[in-house]
Amino acid sequence: MTPDTETHRLHPALLWLQRALTAAALLALGFLVLVYLLYFLSLLRFPFDYDQGEGFELWDSVLLARGDAFYRDNTVFPFYSSNYGPTFRVLLTPLVLLFGPHLWIGRTWSFLMTVGIAVLIGGNVWREVKRPALAALAGMAFLASNTVYHIGPLYRSHTTMVFFGLLAVTLMARIDEVRHRQRTILLALVCMMLAIYTKQLAFDAALAVFVFLFLRKPRESILYGLAFVVAFGLIHLLLNATTGGMWSLNAFGANANPFVTGQAETFTWQWLSLHRVIVLLAALYVVYAVYFDRISVYALYFVAGVIPGILSGKWGAGPNYFMAATAAACIGTGVLLGVIANRLGEQAGRNRPARIGLAAWGVIVPLLFIAQAWFNLHLPLDHPLTRPVARALGIPAEAEGRFRQSYYDTVGYTQLGHLITQQDIAAGWYIVEVLRAVPGPVWSEEAMFPINAGKEVVTNPTQLLNLYNQDRLEMDEMIGMIEREEFGAVVFRARFYPLPVLEAIGQHYRVSEQVEMNGFTYDILLPTP
Amino acid sequence: MRHLLDLWNGRKPITKRLAGIGVALAGLGIVLGVLAVDFAGFGKETGLGPSQRLAIAGGVTVLLAGLPLIALGDRPA
Repeated sequence: MTPDTETHRLHPALLWLQRALTAAALLALGFLVLVYLLYFLSLLRFPFDYDQGEGFELWDSVLLARGDAFYRDNTVFPFYSSNYGPTFRVLLTPLVLLFGPHLWIGRTWSFLMTVGIAVLIGGNVWREVKRPALAALAGMAFLASNTVYHIGPLYRSHTTMVFFGLLAVTLMARIDEVRHRQRTILLALVCMMLAIYTKQLAFDAALAVFVFLFLRKPRESILYGLAFVVAFGLIHLLLNATTGGMWSLNAFGANANPFVTGQAETFTWQWLSLHRVIVLLAALYVVYAVYFDRISVYALYFVAGVIPGILSGKWGAGPNYFMAATAAACIGTGVLLGVIANRLGEQAGRNRPARIGLAAWGVIVPLLFIAQAWFNLHLPLDHPLTRPVARALGIPAEAEGRFRQSYYDTVGYTQLGHLITQQDIAAGWYIVEVLRAVPGPVWSEEAMFPINAGKEVVTNPTQLLNLYNQDRLEMDEMIGMIEREEFGAVVFRARFYPLPVLEAIGQHYRVSEQVEMNGFTYDILLPTP
Repeated sequence: MRHLLDLWNGRKPITKRLAGIGVALAGLGIVLGVLAVDFAGFGKETGLGPSQRLAIAGGVTVLLAGLPLIALGDRPA
């Protein structure tokens, strides 16, 4: 943790204490990275939706590979449309064409995106303060975050958005140093466009980048900003024109759900509580950058990154909305701690308090990361590699009120994070066999059952529900098909469908059997005789 | 005018003071905007709702964050 030039003045016992604590911090965060790897490998084996929505993201790439649009009219069969930007889907389409419609493709991609984000965090910290252990700890702190762990290895677009957003921020941080300044800015803007067209939440990176550019070069900021808005608008118009307005309706209209303040407060407090060390240090870094140094793009990214987090108070949103803020917090933490160490290091030769401060820094900083790892603690309790650690930490194998006995998480209740069992996989294939055996299309709340059964995906449930709640969904055709019992079977998990659809299915289909998979009960309904 | 041209051409940097004024005005704008929306009757309920109170708190925070910057004078932002 402390460079050689600074260590020769330390008492050997203190030096070894610092080294031991640094190793302990790396070990603590390294353990959580190992847990993340185990989770990722476990998910690779599971060809069904772990999180409702993964299969739909895959289906978009399947549609594109077939030459079909994925922004479609929800009122006509198969009543399906995507509701996210195209970047993630387009990037994965060649891989889906190459390997087939498998979830492991997107899960591996998203996992690598999170690793890429961690590398960017470490790289930025290293660039700013030249302290390798600190850079490593900052990067690992990102992978140790509960939220990153939960969402990271899923076939979802969020990590791709954060990666491109952070890449734009990283490039922008270098514009005063690079030889090809204009080229670097253009590249940053391309990354930002990719991020925004992955998910609109990437406006945080755009805000940070343009405010930063404005502070440095107002003219460049305004001219590039105008060019960016024009390019954004042209892509938007092109998407709208080629999809008959379905892009606008599904990606913007259907996502405009009412703001629920209580939910936003819950997620915000949860994020603050789980990441209290790095959030506090990042906030101090913002104060330092704004009032005592030049305002950095990292400081702006942290402030801007909190905004989408606060906007998580709407139906369908989740704690992952804070992922960009978490990445920015890791950078802010690393840079702040590095700046403190470097300032102390500069004065340690001639200043006794600075020497004491530097010695204390070497002890306190690893302890801060160990504390952060403790607040983020999550681990499976039934895996041979993690069970001994759980025992050592005093986590009981059985605990009243714990959502899953096989998994511990400081978040408390979470549907994500546990490891998949062989029974889960078998249950998924059982449902697929049932769907294969029935004639015609099937109405499934999750996409991977029909995909694995070799059938078309029918409906994107939450999309239908959002449009119905906004009174923008015409349901005559789908209810007609349900009433004529044209679907061979129906599979429900959460019943996130418009009420008239649920009523029609209730009148024309009966529950044939219930299958437990991944901790949830799936109802298989067959037409009434 | 000359000062603005210098800023525009990058001959002079944006100062902490200027940044502070901008941030404080943005905060003030948020507060006034929320109150104006409520005054115009767009809110579904009478009085300020929880979302509006949250937005006003955010606006006041931004306003307060901008004020000390103004005092930092001509240092580059």
